[in-house]
Amino acid sequence: MRAAHHFRLALAAGVIVCSSACSKKEEPAPAPPPVAPVVFRVTSVDLGKGITADKMVANSTSDFSPRDTIYVSVATEGASAAASLKARWTFEDGQVVDETTQSVAPTGPARTEFHISKPSGWPVGKYKVEITLDGALAGSKDFEVKRS
Amino acid sequence: MSADRKSPDFSDVQSGSSSTAPRAPGAPERTYTVVAGDSLSKIAKRVYGDPQKWRVIYEANRNHIKNPDLIYPGQIFTLPEA
Repeated sequence: MRAAHHFRLALAAGVIVCSSACSKKEEPAPAPPPVAPVVFRVTSVDLGKGITADKMVANSTSDFSPRDTIYVSVATEGASAAASLKARWTFEDGQVVDETTQSVAPTGPARTEFHISKPSGWPVGKYKVEITLDGALAGSKDFEVKRS
Repeated sequence: MSADRKSPDFSDVQSGSSSTAPRAPGAPERTYTVVAGDSLSKIAKRVYGDPQKWRVIYEANRNHIKNPDLIYPGQIFTLPEA
């Protein structure tokens, strides 16, 4: 008798739950909010003695030997129809060692590398590389060439 | 430090660049800004590894170079594929 009563109660509860849940209309999922375009910008600047195929620094360091090729890898995000990345390398006395510009039209995250070498050997001392994006300073790194 | 310390010579520096991003349409892939002490042959040695290729730079930038023996710091040259 008691079991039959419990069964009826459970059945009634099931009907109530179903009447509220099962009659609910399937509503379309809300549209995702519009994604704001990512402004093209430099996200990191890394120095090293080597570079991978995807333009990442292979051996990150800020200390170099006179015979090293010095690489800087510039990570960017965002898209641009035409942008100009420039690496300006200077010695501690202010002398410009090199300036190279790379034109890019990225559609998303990208990496750009610049490198310099000096067959006769780098003078020991402190150096700096400045990265500009369309003429505006976007990052810089200091490094040193030490006697090997 | 000696006051008459000689300024280092960076004329034999070689440089390059590349990117995972595509090149901007119509834009030169690379440009080079002339620094003090540069000549076209020195730039050609820097970027192509061969001073004899100075004429490649000259031809690509004739509208900016009146005399190939006279270039000036701050001038920006297009660097075509050699």
